[in-house]
Amino acid sequence: MTTEQDPFRESSGAYVLDALDPAERLAFEAHLHECEECTAEVLSLRRVSSALPYGVPEVDPPASLRDRVLAAAAETRKPSSVVPFDRHRSEPSQAQPLKARPTMWAGWIAAAAGIVVAVGVGMYAAQLSTRLDDTQQRLTDAVNRLQDAEQRLQAATRETTTVRASLALLTAPDLADLRLAGQAPAPNARARAFLSRSRGLLFAATNLPAIPNDRTYQVWFLTPGAPVSAGLLRPDAQGNATVAFDFAASVPNPTGIAVSLEPEGGVPAPTGAIYLVTQ
Amino acid sequence: MMWILLAVASSARTTADDQAALERMARGDQAGLAEMYDRHGRLVYSLALRIVRDRGDAEDVTQDVFVQAWRQASRFDTTRGNVAAWLLTMARSRAIDLIRRRRVRPQPGADDMVMETKDASPAPDVQFEWVQRAEVIQEAMGALPLVQRLAIELAFFEGLTQAEIAEQLEVPLGTVKTRIRQGLLKLRDRLAGAGATS
Repeated sequence: MTTEQDPFRESSGAYVLDALDPAERLAFEAHLHECEECTAEVLSLRRVSSALPYGVPEVDPPASLRDRVLAAAAETRKPSSVVPFDRHRSEPSQAQPLKARPTMWAGWIAAAAGIVVAVGVGMYAAQLSTRLDDTQQRLTDAVNRLQDAEQRLQAATRETTTVRASLALLTAPDLADLRLAGQAPAPNARARAFLSRSRGLLFAATNLPAIPNDRTYQVWFLTPGAPVSAGLLRPDAQGNATVAFDFAASVPNPTGIAVSLEPEGGVPAPTGAIYLVTQ
Repeated sequence: MMWILLAVASSARTTADDQAALERMARGDQAGLAEMYDRHGRLVYSLALRIVRDRGDAEDVTQDVFVQAWRQASRFDTTRGNVAAWLLTMARSRAIDLIRRRRVRPQPGADDMVMETKDASPAPDVQFEWVQRAEVIQEAMGALPLVQRLAIELAFFEGLTQAEIAEQLEVPLGTVKTRIRQGLLKLRDRLAGAGATS
């Protein structure tokens, strides 16, 4: 295995799922031209990614969709029957020049009418402009509200993804279900840890107290030797957090799980107060 | 393992059927499109729905995919990939464009940047799907470590970049790369293991 020696190799999966940022994607593609191993890996992973859609729960589209599709296709194949849209613009102006009737009075009347019209148009324009401002404001408000809603929807969507993925863990044959109790700094805190050697750790905590910005909660595997960090935990405003952690093969079978308060970014070995520990 | 043989056989036949349908589409014969829709419409719609999570949007995506296939039928090279993979690639790409557009705050001129629509070129050089059985894929996904599965799902179905996933899961970028790759490699081995017996 030369995998570890090629720093590009690590990006193959993200490349296949279109998850690289554009600059990195270009660099990776350039690398593919000169690395057969990466190319072979990408091809094999493409086969995997192309199979992913087949795992999606199948849902019947509405029967009407078939007709819609066929109608839309029929529409596109038609030879262009679109009206040239600048025909309006090229039409000569309807307005006749005023001097077509050279009578003096007529001129004055026309001028007066012009003023009336101009004033009228001016007022109308001002009114329109106010209404436009108003409409624009309302539109901005609506867009903002929509964006808020969509952001909430996105957050919910990601949560759904986590939950959906978590369900698989909960059915793992080697699942251990651990309960954690709050300690002195947080007597009301509670947590459950779902642990599977093959599928990882799902950790759900409630009632964790708010902490300063320069601190973080850190989750630990308690082992016969030194505790091993599982990762960091960032509760929401209500003190709840649900996080999935890796359960590396190198971690010995844990005897329990604990959560401590540590400096921001986490530490290699626990230093702070223990907030939660398995019962 | 009989069913795997069946799955492989039926997917090979589907490809031949698809090719015939595609040729009819290329000649402007709507019956070819209808046939194509009847065979793949459900899967295209299901994938779109999984990504956009809105029936109306999923219908729009499905319509766009088949209209595009109709327009480009004559240019699709069946020796380079299978039709179903092509349709699904288009569906995913359009669905993700749609949710990314939802996600990004509209800014003047920003549209062109985020909207960089992926080329709908015939993708994966997959001659046939060696596994098209939902339960096989679902089972393989289910057996993945949770963190790997999450990273893959966020990239594939939510259209997040690795940087966004890192932010979302609060782990370093390198960890996200590794999780995606390790997860896909595991899926590959599992699926190949299933297919290898045929």
